Amino acid sequence: MKGGTKAIILIIIGLAVLIPFTSTHPDGLEKVAESLGIEESEPIWSGLMPDYTFHFTENPYLTKLISGLIGLFLVFSVAWGIGWATARKNHV
Amino acid sequence: MHIPDGFLHPYLCVLMYFISLVSLSWAWRGVRRTFPRSLVPVLAVSSAFVFVAQLLNFPIVHGTSGHLVGGTFLAMLLGPHAAVISISIVLLIQAIFFADGGISTFGANIFNMAVIGGLSFYIVKLLSGSSSGQKRLSASVFMASWFSIVLGALACAIQIGVSPIFASAGGVMVTVPAMLFWHIIIGIGEAAITTSLVSQLSRFSPTVLSGLSMVRGIAYERRY
Repeated sequence: MKGGTKAIILIIIGLAVLIPFTSTHPDGLEKVAESLGIEESEPIWSGLMPDYTFHFTENPYLTKLISGLIGLFLVFSVAWGIGWATARKNHV
Repeated sequence: MHIPDGFLHPYLCVLMYFISLVSLSWAWRGVRRTFPRSLVPVLAVSSAFVFVAQLLNFPIVHGTSGHLVGGTFLAMLLGPHAAVISISIVLLIQAIFFADGGISTFGANIFNMAVIGGLSFYIVKLLSGSSSGQKRLSASVFMASWFSIVLGALACAIQIGVSPIFASAGGVMVTVPAMLFWHIIIGIGEAAITTSLVSQLSRFSPTVLSGLSMVRGIAYERRY
């Protein structure tokens, strides 16, 4: 899958280049909650890397890059696995 | 648009889990019936792309941001069934590993983003009709991706509006206009990104757009 490898490289380059331009402002739903004075309660499950942060670095660029790469790998693998298990074996 | 834990009434969480499970089983059966294994790499790469794209918030007005949800984009690549599965996988990884979107609200988030996003395929189909013109198609993709965000936001607004903590702040009368206001704008970002991605792909790598072929009534073809 040559095209796939190329696409993954392009995605990683895109991530590395675009991170400095991303907005850290709240998104639509967060903004609505904020404007109504509603705060998020403690989540039931705080995740392995809550809100895309790590204990070893506070650099916002690195944090986003690392979580992006980890997430990219995880989503890719899970999607591949589920896809492979579910998809039709033979062509019409 | 990821709803965190605590925003929704517990009964509503259960109801949304139920609706999403029914939708996922529809999507799963569709993938099983029609999605060929040769397209699994496209599913994996495009899902990974959407995860990364969701990290990159673009600024809109008044200190608010939005990000691509990618429903219509995935539907153009994978068709409606696999698109629903794909966004659900992205949401699952976000919830489990990054606590982005709650666990109790996971069903609602699947409905608002994955189900509505994947079903936007049918909006493209409806709007583009039997025409194969590039302009008509781009316009259909633009409208469908905008609608996918606005409808998702509307569903989200109703869900939070009828839940206790937002009910005391005014309920749906407040949440619906507020959510629609922001997401009518965010939806334009979604639509612009989706339309340019789809038109770039149709120029440089048209074979990858299986969902688009399905809009035109052509079944999945072997490509790898």
